[in-house]
Amino acid sequence: MFDRDVWQEIFNTIKTNKLRTFLTGFSVGWAIFILVMLLASVNGMENGFYNQFNDDATNSIFVRPGVTSKAYGGFEAGRRIQLENDDMEYLSKSFPEDIEFISARYYTNVTARYKSETGTYSLQATNPEHQFIEKTIVTSGRYFNEADQINKAKVAVIGKKVAEDLFKDEEPLGKFVELNGLSFRVIGIFTDDGDVNAEQRVYAPLSTYQRIYGNTSNINMIALTYNPTYDVPRALEFSEKLEDLMKRRHRIDPDDQAGMYVFNYAEAYDNINSFTAVLRGVGIGVAFLILIAGIVGIGNIMVFTIKERTKEIGVRKALGARPNQIINLVLLESVFITTISGFVGLLFAWMILAAIGPTIQSPAFSNPSVNTATVVTATVILIVAGVLAGLIPAMKAANVKPIVALSDK
Amino acid sequence: MIEIKDLHKSYKMGSNSLHVLKGINFKVEEGELVAIMGSSGSGKSTLLNILGMLDGADSGEYNLDGVPIKNLSETKAAQYRNKFLGFIFQSFNLINYKSALENVALPLYYQKVPRKERQEKAMKYLERVGLKPWASHLPSELSGGQKQRVAIARAMAAEPKVLLADEPTGALDSTTSYEVMDLIQKINDEGNTILVVTHEEDIAHMCKRIVHLKDGVIVEDKKIEQVRAEQYV
Repeated sequence: MFDRDVWQEIFNTIKTNKLRTFLTGFSVGWAIFILVMLLASVNGMENGFYNQFNDDATNSIFVRPGVTSKAYGGFEAGRRIQLENDDMEYLSKSFPEDIEFISARYYTNVTARYKSETGTYSLQATNPEHQFIEKTIVTSGRYFNEADQINKAKVAVIGKKVAEDLFKDEEPLGKFVELNGLSFRVIGIFTDDGDVNAEQRVYAPLSTYQRIYGNTSNINMIALTYNPTYDVPRALEFSEKLEDLMKRRHRIDPDDQAGMYVFNYAEAYDNINSFTAVLRGVGIGVAFLILIAGIVGIGNIMVFTIKERTKEIGVRKALGARPNQIINLVLLESVFITTISGFVGLLFAWMILAAIGPTIQSPAFSNPSVNTATVVTATVILIVAGVLAGLIPAMKAANVKPIVALSDK
Repeated sequence: MIEIKDLHKSYKMGSNSLHVLKGINFKVEEGELVAIMGSSGSGKSTLLNILGMLDGADSGEYNLDGVPIKNLSETKAAQYRNKFLGFIFQSFNLINYKSALENVALPLYYQKVPRKERQEKAMKYLERVGLKPWASHLPSELSGGQKQRVAIARAMAAEPKVLLADEPTGALDSTTSYEVMDLIQKINDEGNTILVVTHEEDIAHMCKRIVHLKDGVIVEDKKIEQVRAEQYV
């Protein structure tokens, strides 16, 4: 394969048929270009989807109450469901094995003030474990802990953006910020991957806020992560069980979709995965159909070359070339042409994507790119294509009778 | 060296069968220089094809250096050709994008001789045909006589048992023809067995034995006084 003589022959045939080789190579390069662009687009869509919730742990489940749409258990439809602290405790006791982290969420908007700077931000009052569910990255200071929760401490963890807005160049840690007129000590600053809005948020202990708002035990929703060792079917099974339990607890018709929402990321991921898998399959399919034209082209040029070289092949056979040596030569040439032209197409697609990819940032489409899987897919397709294209010509070449070397016409 | 017994060969032409070789019996000893003569259609090309293992016989025996040649697979035939036979063609059949040296080295390549050794050996044979200075030239840069000498060097490079020459002077003028025959005679002098197919009387008389074919049978097989080509060069 890495024989100098073999390559000398391949280069010679290519050299003597430059235009022909270029034209047929182009069709293969073009097919690969389209393949890569399609796969990159699917990638971009996938990235776009994942970006929609990539600031949360991928094994998250959110439990959100709604308004019932069906009468059930003696209650009329249209009843507003309210979650309370008990619900969370109930869940953590019911599923000690399944739940990794669990936290309640209580939201409100606050007007924050520090010295003369003010701003309105959304505040989430949560349990300490919420940090891991939301993947909050504390860059300085700390997140609030169980002790803060028990003491109903007036402490706040503020987003990077909030810190920049209110404190300018001052160090916010340990300073007091006014939230709706009440003084909170800043104990931490956080950032959040991929979600700029999250950095305009303030976190505070749930207990603190429940006391401020009239000693309530109401919460808006429950966020939890399931055992990360679970696969998708197991996660779905768990969230269904959880939904049933919550509906029973709040006397909601099991078929009532509006009374209680249990949103499982696993399900969403699963849906996206199967959706993008279909798209990717369609992409590969379309590109493959285009590639067939290229394969036929290369096969055609090879048949032609063999025809022109019939005599030479005959001479080689008379000199002792074995049929499989001739087959190897033709297949190698075919694979060589397809691979080179394919990689040129790949390179072009890659350059275009590298140039414009990062500039595309819409919610449904972001950073279309060529990944290793795409390159591997393309390479495998190319080699298979090359072999396919060379197969018939190679067999034709192997069948050349050495007698032609003797028939001097 | 070569032993042929009752060789028959016919070709199917539609519904008709053309009986080309009708029982050839023929023996060549080592070191002979044999001319096979005959007009076109006499079966001399078919005989050469069979001798060259390019075609199989219908019936009869063919032994080459004690090895029975029968029912060979393509691969086996290729191996035998490479090992036993050197071909010299009328139109030289050099590979036009390979230099003289590379052309001569080609049979050695199929013998899987390492590249360096191959080139040394090829150079040795090129020197023997007097073309060492032209080693790096492409065939298109050589004259007809030079091309045939490169082809002879190529045929000899694999050190075959028998050289088969099919009209080796067919494409050459008389002076160059004699030069080539001179070379063939000298190679024969060294003890190599050579078969020359020709229809030219003067070329045939430069061999040591003439076998005359007509309508698929040997009509004449005689030893002759060899005419040395040297005197015409």
